[in-house]
Order: sequence, then structure tokens, then C-alpha cells
Amino acid sequence: MSAVDRSSAPEAGAPRPYHFPHIHRTTLDNGLHVLIAENHNAPIVALRTIVKSGADHDVADLAGLASVTADLLDEGAGSRDAIKLAEDVGLLGGALGTGADWDATYMSIEVLSRTAPEAIQILGDVSFRATLPADALERVRSERLMDILQQRDEPAAIAGKRFAGLLYGTGAYGNPIIGTSASISKMTLEDVRRFYAQHYIPNHSSVVVSGDVTPDEAVRLVSDAFADWKRGPEPPRPAPQPRNLETSRIYLIDRPQAVQSEIRVGHVGVARASEDYFAINVMNALLGGIFNSRINLNLREKHGYTYGARSTFAFRRSAGPFVVSAPVRNEVTRESVEEVLAELRRIRTGDVEPRELDETKSYMMGVFPATVQSASDIASRLLDMELYSLPEDYFDRYRENIAAISRDDIARVANKYVDPDRALIVIVGNAAQVREPLGTLGMPLHEIDVEGNQIVG
Amino acid sequence: MLSLETYELANGLRVVLNEDHSAPLVAVNLWYHVGSKNERPGRTGFAHLFEHMLFSGSENVGNNEHFRYVQSVGGVLNGTTFFDRTNYFETLPSNYLALGLWLESDRMGFFLPALTQEKLDIQREVVKEERRQRYDNVPYGTAFERLLNLAYDPDYSYHWPTIGSMEDLQAASLDDIREFFATWYRPDNCTLTLVGDFNTSEAKQLVEQYFGDIAPGGAFPQFTLERQPQKSERRETFASRVQLPRLYQLYHLPKMGAPEWIHADLLTTILAADKASRLERSLVHEKQIAQDVATYVLPTESTGILLLQATAKEGVPIETIEHAIDEEIARVVRGGITEDELTRAKNRAEIEFAHQVENYDSRADLIGMLATYFDDPHILNTWLEPYRAASAADLASVAKDFLTPENRATSLFLPEVAA
Repeated sequence: MSAVDRSSAPEAGAPRPYHFPHIHRTTLDNGLHVLIAENHNAPIVALRTIVKSGADHDVADLAGLASVTADLLDEGAGSRDAIKLAEDVGLLGGALGTGADWDATYMSIEVLSRTAPEAIQILGDVSFRATLPADALERVRSERLMDILQQRDEPAAIAGKRFAGLLYGTGAYGNPIIGTSASISKMTLEDVRRFYAQHYIPNHSSVVVSGDVTPDEAVRLVSDAFADWKRGPEPPRPAPQPRNLETSRIYLIDRPQAVQSEIRVGHVGVARASEDYFAINVMNALLGGIFNSRINLNLREKHGYTYGARSTFAFRRSAGPFVVSAPVRNEVTRESVEEVLAELRRIRTGDVEPRELDETKSYMMGVFPATVQSASDIASRLLDMELYSLPEDYFDRYRENIAAISRDDIARVANKYVDPDRALIVIVGNAAQVREPLGTLGMPLHEIDVEGNQIVG
Repeated sequence: MLSLETYELANGLRVVLNEDHSAPLVAVNLWYHVGSKNERPGRTGFAHLFEHMLFSGSENVGNNEHFRYVQSVGGVLNGTTFFDRTNYFETLPSNYLALGLWLESDRMGFFLPALTQEKLDIQREVVKEERRQRYDNVPYGTAFERLLNLAYDPDYSYHWPTIGSMEDLQAASLDDIREFFATWYRPDNCTLTLVGDFNTSEAKQLVEQYFGDIAPGGAFPQFTLERQPQKSERRETFASRVQLPRLYQLYHLPKMGAPEWIHADLLTTILAADKASRLERSLVHEKQIAQDVATYVLPTESTGILLLQATAKEGVPIETIEHAIDEEIARVVRGGITEDELTRAKNRAEIEFAHQVENYDSRADLIGMLATYFDDPHILNTWLEPYRAASAADLASVAKDFLTPENRATSLFLPEVAA
């Protein structure tokens, strides 16, 4: 066999077609949306219920209510108590998970497909027949208080909490999802039951069945298990009240033993429904969204300041934060902040190489099939469609939407949605070591404690 | 039954092909049979630092270009290092199979010409930041390191974690890198697994084209690893900046794949997997003395490991947790386990395995592991059989024989008391 030419990358073969699985949809009489994606690659069925209320509904006084309610769902449902529920799900070869995110509450069961009928019954019980027992609230409360205590030592958790709090205050998106020691301590069973009654209603929820099951059978099973769920009035959507800065500011939280600074730089971002969603996503991938992005290559591969740096637009139902995050060693904290701000400025100038843009778009278009291999991956995509009301042809048109983004679009959305001159900068680190260098950046510097209280010097 | 085709190139490269057209993707996966166990004291962290270097270019692939080539066609990629092995993998749109083979063969055969001191200096800093981020700057971050230090003698190379020590990372030189490459990165120390949307005979041709002319290395260095049996429990107490006391235990087991290891794997599910499991139910749910509890076996080749950890609630002495766990283990030894518990554990093993096989990338990685550790990737199709055959008595006897104080190392993390 003749030797292969190694001097340049081989030509690609002809691309093979990819199709997102066909989605079967139906709506039950009670308003519950049911989405089914059939796929027999593995003997697995992934089941999900999504309730379109999450920590966005929390108020400061009762921060953590959505997530405590979600935690109580597997503490008893229908005729089963917590132990019996875990035993029975285990016998089906599955695991039951529940939790609240910013915009929604999720329940999931993944089982061997031969046991899907029983699993769907159990998912129904958890969705609308949770017993929410008093002793379980006390147990969850005590565990939650310990979680909050432990987070006082976790630099990434501290940085995330303070960044959200400084950006959104005590309204929606500003309180920690897991709550605060004050809010968790005073939460009552009535609070939980009220939240459950008000938000866990079929006309505000969707059920997804993905994997080794036929649509006909899935519809029959879900109709059986969820028919008795009673409608309710649609809860009002909370409106976050973000506080944008007039000029960039640094908030420093001292962690005397720290050998790294956790850095957060950003401001309020954009809602998922933005017409610029695709352009922002391409711009962000180029800026700091993937390994080979500018921010990561700069901080990690050029300077060796960090193991990894990234930027994220948290697309939520209302505008979530835009944030650059990086843990860097103490000695280069100021330099890292400067480099991040410089990258934010540079992306706004429109200085984008055609090759850089083409490769980023090509990544985003090509990577999709690799991220939706499993029944569980596909279920998550269907939940996104429901939560953000994406059009039916969303996944089929995804590639052309990315392909249409131009260099002008990048500059336009960077100028519109990235603002290095009004950046909130949060640093959790060794104050004695980083205070002085940060002071030379020429921005106001405030020292706060782990709870966010201003330290009076 | 998954159909696997296994063969060797003349230079010793083992190839496993699993053609599957359900998605237009191909997983390219390489397991090199080298890891931190091949390091010596004073040179720890080397296998992992080397893994970083292998992303920094080779003769025909520029610095950072490996990531660029893969990402720019919509691929995902990474590499990981552990005691016994180092793996490199990318999942690509299937029409880019040749690209993946070109990249991997270039760094297997033609890495040294592109090596520079500057690249080493940068990756050394990156790895030091990785160590700070994962070990030194987070609560309990050094627990696994401390436990390994305790459980293994200094000449047994599980004594240190894969990340290595800061001093040793600092000392790594270009010559070390060259020697490590020449010794271990060679076709006859590697398994290449392809899973996905390709035609087997075309794939074979491509593999031959890209890997066939890479020379095998010389003789492998003599390397033996014998663990001296432990006679009594090894313990330590460590005060650090944590809020809650936590117990870490390492129990020695027979090697991965041995019947006892499989029984121990099932037993960990019965002990701590959900609210109905023994430890979680007793310590977390009923007595409410523990914040959390977890136990699992590790996929290691040289010796078997079962890890157990539990966090005490505020105000609960860690000894109370330790005694409660020992009592639950004693209850398994005395009274055995129920058929229901056994069924649940087997079902969970079955679904976890199904999950691993479901995606091309994790399936390829599993095949690479079976080929590397057991010299037989076809075990994939019989992997669950010993799980299905296990009896309640098997699980009780593994608890009795291996989950004993003499056979463990215990490290207690306690909150620092303010002076």
C-alpha cells in the first residue's frame, strides 16, 4: 500500500443525512402536553415531567421554595412513602430524579423499557399526587441548611451566588436556587403545599416519553396515568428586576486560604426568545463558549493562567446573566481580569477572521447529532421545546439559522449585548494578595462578605 | 449482541471495529496502556501532564490545531488519565473518520518533532491550575490524595493521585517527556476502537494507511506492581477548612472483573444508591445523623478499590457515623440481603450498562477498557452475566471477607478549630 500523505488534513467524505427523531404530540383534555420520540437503539425509556415554574417564582423571604418542593416529591406519592417509592423504582431498574432550575421544575425516571408502564404510573403519582409529608420537610430542611453551610467554603458557589445577587437583587433570578439559611429556616409546609397546588397543574406542564416505546402505547399509558390531574389557573410570569451598573465595579470576597481567585465578569444578558438568539450563540462560541474560543485560548493556552475559562449567555424565559468565569492563580488575578475585558472589547470591534467565523459555525452545525445520541438527550431537547415554546421545525431549521449568521451580525450583537464598560466583576479570593493589584484597574472596588454584606473598613 | 471485529496490525496496534449506522457519527477512541502507575516517586503527575502535551501539536498538526480540526467539523473530543491508562477520543460526523485517524496517527507516530520547551512550560502551568482548582482550592479537595497516601505503600504507585505533586510537576523536563513518549506511546501499547457509521472494510483500509507505517517500540521496561497485603487498619485524622466532618474509607478488593469485585459492585448499590439503600435509609433518612453517604467501586486494573464516604451533620461526631456504617455492614454479614434488594441492584447494573452502550463514545470507551485490561473486547457481550448470576450469599460473603477494618484505610476530615 502506498504511503499516505500526512502533510495536510484528509478530505471529508460525503456527509450522511441526519434527522432529529419525529416528534409525536398530543394534548390531554386537562391541557397537559405530551411529546413522544420513538427510538429503539437501547432498551431504555426516558420519562420526564416538566412544570414551567422554578426558582424564578421564589421571593427573597422564601428563597428555595421551588427547589424544596421539588425535593419533597420523592418523599411520598400516591400510596407509596419515600422508601417504597425508591424500592419500586429500583425494581423497575430505574432512578427517580427531581429538581428545580431557574425557569422550571423537572421530574425524571429512566427505566428498562420492559417496565415503562409501571414507571409512567409512578411519574404520574409524583407529578400530582405527592403527599408532601411534614416529617420529610423537616429532614429536607435540615439537609438544606447543611448544604448552605458547606457552600460557604466553595469558591465557585460563593462567586455564583454573589454575582446573581448583585445583578438581580432579591427578585427573580437573584436568590440562590437552594435558598438561604434564613428563608429555609422559616419555610412552612403550607408554603410548600401552596406552591405545589398553584404551579403543578397540567395546563402549565408537559410530559415527555423518549426511547424504546411506540407512540400509540406511550399515549395510552400517559393518558391513563395523567388523566386525573386537575387544571388550574395559569400562574403569572415573574419579571426579574435586574440592576445594570453605570460603570464597571469590582466586588471582592475574601477567602484567606485561597490559592486561586474565582473570577466572574458580566452583566444582564438576553431572554431565550430573543430574535438574536442564533447570532448571540455564534458570537459567544467564538468569544468564550467552546474550548478553542478566544477567552480560553488567551487565558489558558497563551498565558497558562487557568485550567479553563469560558463565557456563557444564560438564556432563560427572562434575560439571564451573561458571564465570563475563570479560576486563576492568585498572582495573575488582575492580569486575567484585564485580558477578559480586552477580549470583550475586541469582539465588539468586528475584528473577526472569516476562517474563525466559518469554523465556529461549522462546529455548531456539525456537533448537534453528537449531543442527542441517547433517549435521555432527546428528552431534554423536547423539554426545551416546551419550556421556550420553540417552533415545531426548530431542530430541522437549526443548521440554516446558524449558517445565516454573518460577520456583521457578530459585531452587531457584540455591541448590543456585551458591555465591558458596565461590567459587574466578582472575585472570590485571597484579598491580602489580590486587593492591591485589583485597585490599579481604576474601578471602584468594594469588599463584601460571603453573605454579600458590605464590609466597612 | 454487538458485532465486534478485532484484529492487530503488523506493528502491534490492536483495532476493534463496531459498525453501527443508527446515527451519522463515528467515535474514534484510543486507550494507551500507561498511566500514573508507570510513574516513579519524584516524577508524579507525569502521565497526565503528558496527556496535555499530546494536544499541543505534532509534526503535521500545529499547536492547538488538534482541537481546532475536530471542533471545526462539529466534533467533540478530550483525553483522560488514570492509574492504569490514558485515553484520547473524538466523536465526529461520520464523513470525517479519516480526519480523526490522521490526527491520532500523527501524534502517535510523529509527536516529538513538534515538542518545544515553551509548550511544556504553558501546559505545566495549566496542569498546576487544574490541581489548584480540583484539589487545593476546594473543601475536601485533597481527600482522595490523602486516602491513597495512607492505603498504599510509597513504592506502590497507586500511592499518589494522577494529578501528581506541585514539586514533581515543576521538575518535569523535556527529556522526561521524550523518554516517556518513546517508552509508552507506540502502536503495540494501544487499542484503537471505532464505533459507528462506517463500512468495516473501508475503515480497515484507512486504519492501515494511517497507522500501518508507525514503528513499534523496543522491549517494554520491566515493570511489576505487587501490593503487600495489609495487616491492620490504617487511619488518620486531618483538620482543614471544612464546615462538616467527613469520613473517607478505601477497602481493598481483588482486581476489577474478579467475581468478588463484581459482587462488591452490586453490594455498593444495596448500601448506598437511593433512599431505599441500607446506609442512606439508616443514616440519612431515619437516624438523620449523616448529610450524605456514597460508596462505589473504581475501574482500576492493578488492584481493586471500593470507596466509601459519608458527611456528618453539624454536631454529630464522626465516630458516630463510622460506627453506624460498620453496624450496617455487620448487619449484611449477619443477616444477609433480601432477594428484592438483589433484584434492584441487578436491574440498576443492567440499566447502567445499557446507558454506557447506548452512546457511541461511551461504548467505544468501554470496549477500549475491556481490550486493555482483559485483552478481550468481546467481554462486552457477556459483561452482565456474572452480575445476573450473583446470589445474595455472594454479596454477604464479599462484605464478610473484604469490608473489614483490617482491610481498609480510613481518613477523617474534621473542621479546623479556630485558635
